[in-house]
Amino acid sequence: MIKAKNRMGLIFFPAYDWAISPTHPEREERLLYTQDQLREEGIFDIQGLVEYKPDIAREEDVLRTHFCFPDAAGVTTESHMISAGGAIKAARLLLDGQVDKAFALVRPPGHHAMKSVHGNRGFCNINNEAIMIEYIRDHYSTRRIAVVDTDCHHGDGTQDIYWNDPNVLYISIHQDGRTLYPGSGHVSECGGPTAAGRTVNIPLPPGTSDEGFLYAIDEMVLPILKHFKPEIIVNSAGQDNHYSDPITNMNFSAQGYAMLNDRLDPDIAVLEGGYSIQGALPYVNLGIILAMAGIDYSHVREPDYDAAAVRQDKGIMDYVKRLKEAVLGVYFNPPTYEGLLPYRQYLTRRKNVFYDTDGIRETQLESIMRCGECTGVWSLETSSTVYPLSLGIEIPVGACTACEKEGGRLLDNAKKSGKYKTIQMIDRVKKEYYSR
Amino acid sequence: MNKSALYLGLDVGGTHTDAVLIGEEGIVSHYKAVTDHDNLLLSVRKAIEGIAGGADRKKIQRINLSTTLSTNAIVENRLEDVCVIISAGPGIDPDNFKIGTYYYVIDGSIDHRGTEVRSLDAKLVSRIAGEVSGKGVKAFAAVTKFSTRNPEHENLIAREIGSAADFVTLGHKLSGRLSFPRRIVTAYFNSAVRRIFENFSDSIEECLCDLGIEAEVNVLKADGGTMPFSFSRGIPVESILSGPAASVMGIAALCDITRDSIMLDIGGTTTDIAIFAAGAPLIEKEGISLQGFPTLVRSLMTRSIGVGGDSAIHVNGGSVSVGPDRGGPAMAAGGTVPTLVDAFNAIRIVRFMDAEASAQGIADLAKKNGTSPDKLADAAIEYAVARIKDEVNAMLGEIRDRPVYTIHEMLEGKKIQPALVYIMGGPAEAFRDKFAGWLGAEVVVPPNYDVANAVGAALAKTTIDIELFADTCRRTMIIPNIDVRRTIPSGYTLRDAERDARNSLAEHRGSLSAPAGGSDMEIIESSSFNIVEGFYTVGRDIRVKCQIKPGVIKRLT
Repeated sequence: MIKAKNRMGLIFFPAYDWAISPTHPEREERLLYTQDQLREEGIFDIQGLVEYKPDIAREEDVLRTHFCFPDAAGVTTESHMISAGGAIKAARLLLDGQVDKAFALVRPPGHHAMKSVHGNRGFCNINNEAIMIEYIRDHYSTRRIAVVDTDCHHGDGTQDIYWNDPNVLYISIHQDGRTLYPGSGHVSECGGPTAAGRTVNIPLPPGTSDEGFLYAIDEMVLPILKHFKPEIIVNSAGQDNHYSDPITNMNFSAQGYAMLNDRLDPDIAVLEGGYSIQGALPYVNLGIILAMAGIDYSHVREPDYDAAAVRQDKGIMDYVKRLKEAVLGVYFNPPTYEGLLPYRQYLTRRKNVFYDTDGIRETQLESIMRCGECTGVWSLETSSTVYPLSLGIEIPVGACTACEKEGGRLLDNAKKSGKYKTIQMIDRVKKEYYSR
Repeated sequence: MNKSALYLGLDVGGTHTDAVLIGEEGIVSHYKAVTDHDNLLLSVRKAIEGIAGGADRKKIQRINLSTTLSTNAIVENRLEDVCVIISAGPGIDPDNFKIGTYYYVIDGSIDHRGTEVRSLDAKLVSRIAGEVSGKGVKAFAAVTKFSTRNPEHENLIAREIGSAADFVTLGHKLSGRLSFPRRIVTAYFNSAVRRIFENFSDSIEECLCDLGIEAEVNVLKADGGTMPFSFSRGIPVESILSGPAASVMGIAALCDITRDSIMLDIGGTTTDIAIFAAGAPLIEKEGISLQGFPTLVRSLMTRSIGVGGDSAIHVNGGSVSVGPDRGGPAMAAGGTVPTLVDAFNAIRIVRFMDAEASAQGIADLAKKNGTSPDKLADAAIEYAVARIKDEVNAMLGEIRDRPVYTIHEMLEGKKIQPALVYIMGGPAEAFRDKFAGWLGAEVVVPPNYDVANAVGAALAKTTIDIELFADTCRRTMIIPNIDVRRTIPSGYTLRDAERDARNSLAEHRGSLSAPAGGSDMEIIESSSFNIVEGFYTVGRDIRVKCQIKPGVIKRLT
């Protein structure tokens, strides 16, 4: 009998009765072959590895994290609530001490879902990892959390949610945005004024293989994590860097994924993308599970694996090595934002967001209080092609008294103005989430 | 059953051999004796002789036998050497699954769709076979990863072993379920007990011939069903751990169970627990484990805890506990240590043999620990009841928390709400009041519970479970454990698959000459997924699980 070195919880929820559309990559059988492989390997008989049922996320779990327009029910289906609930279950198992590691192997994914949600973008409606992290911060004493996003696509949703949050470090390793959806994730995107350097992007060139990925982990991700000292490391575990993935251009392997997780040593992994459902997912998931559980994974490889065919060009390694300095610079010497407005003034930025899956265009105006005491109360004015001008207000985790008061004032003013179709309030101090 | 036909149920348990003869009108006679552990055949023979006289013997139409033979052989490690030949391909290192002395991993691999990835190193097989047969090894097991999707490599291994083997267990014939490690263990055990079982079967048949009995003989399985003797010779491993199933089927025969129910079989040493959902006994999600080895042997969901009538009462500081050790027999029956039965006897909930001895034993233990006899007896009984309730709650929790894989099941999943608690076993009556009102359920102590296990054996139906797997891209359909493999048209649908599953199952049942009953065949799971390549649907991946439900051929209510 195989015994896991780490007690491991596996929340497996393939949602066999849910798809975006019949031939969409995010469809019913996405995890079918993975389940076949895991069952045939006897994964669920490994001592110390236990399969769990997901929780179902509640509306308040979503509203604690997102501004939803018109409301949470309007932008989610049951599948999203179960998928997010799977991530929450992973966190609960870990923080209640039932397991040492947890992997939420759930779908649909979430990392393209931003703070404000009007619909589906990049196959995502709500952000599973963020909902989990906010659940953790609401229910446990854990404060410092690092998300390492290993999906091939830049996790622009998670980046957006934690842009101004210095306590959640977001690191994304992905295929260079100039060559792949969603187009963002450049090294220069490194967090807002209150959280400069707490967003770290590592855009890798197409064709990067195990060597380049593991270099990025060893030389960039690990030194940053060592310095940040997170209480929990979350792997936002996309599997579409695989050489056989149909919608990306990387050369990563199942063995590489296992080694990555071995070195990263995440406490929690949450499945993101990955659409080579026959050739990659069964082996990649097996590799990740074994690595997290602390079981030998050296025999895991794809049936068609050919080292020579997926070897990266020499130029790629040179490029990745040059990238190191820039990436480390972002974290260790972030921009100081000198010459900004003084404290207790609002900093604003405008953004346009495109929802590729649903074809929605959204315009946002973000205003964040430059506080100095806390991360600052903030608001988000938003309108889209499917929903009229609305407002989100957040009194953040650990907000100071002044910002808490200011949040109330913002709400009153907004109500009085009569400008907004919907006003969403997130009050993390009082733990109240509601719309007006 | 024809009017004068008799059914004979035999449960050769670890302690007792129970037999019961059932006719049209119900139980004709029953028999109980201590099992001769070293000569199970003798126990069987004596039971048959004891229960049925010459005239009745002729009328016996069907004999169902639950025996610990294979279980004992495995538990006591009286196993024949088996040469296990496997091929694994990529995945977990197959050395982790090493079992027995002769374990060989050879090159070759098949993927989850059943596609051959690497051809089998067949030459090596014949070399290994030659080598081990030189050492006197004649039993073989051939197991390859994903053989339930494509059994070619296992079949090839068997062909290469050829006459070097007296028998070869092929992994895919054991079950359609996925789990390479379980397949290895199950195939190994199967080959390791096969000769013992075969010799036993031969002897039984001789013995029946001797006694002038011409009945068909069936063997009970852990899933509460039976298989014909002739068939069980090929898969003797299916006969392991059938004991608890016999009692569960007994309850099913003695009571008309139609609702969610709990069964408590409170014996001398243990309490066995089973759960019924809408009248059907629940089946374990995976196969049963034996000696810590998970197998593919399908089983009813039962749990056993060390609380029974003969469990010793312990006092530790202020706390009173019962079991898990056996202290019995009870002092009322001449024992030396006060047991749970003595506790019931002392406070006159029951009247059992020497009540004075019970009262004395409890009083002495109470005095030694500075408490009153009544308090001690109460505490011991309350402890036993609490342990049983805890275990039932844990089982209900486990069922509630069973992973599901669709949104529908996640939201609409049924919850077990026990309406009835059936209590059987020696101390059953004593416990009746203790469970009254618990979970809002009604307590029933069925009549004849003391022979329920033999009744269960006598009346259990033949069960078969199959998994059909079809891939319309590859144009293949396979039902591994009953050896069906067919080419299908690319337009093959889920409905075709369900029809084929039912027909194949019915055909197989016919070949086992098991009596057919229309409504007992059911599709348990059925799914059809598109196989999409490059944004185009190119075929369907179809899976159907079908079974003959465990149940009894008639009820004695």
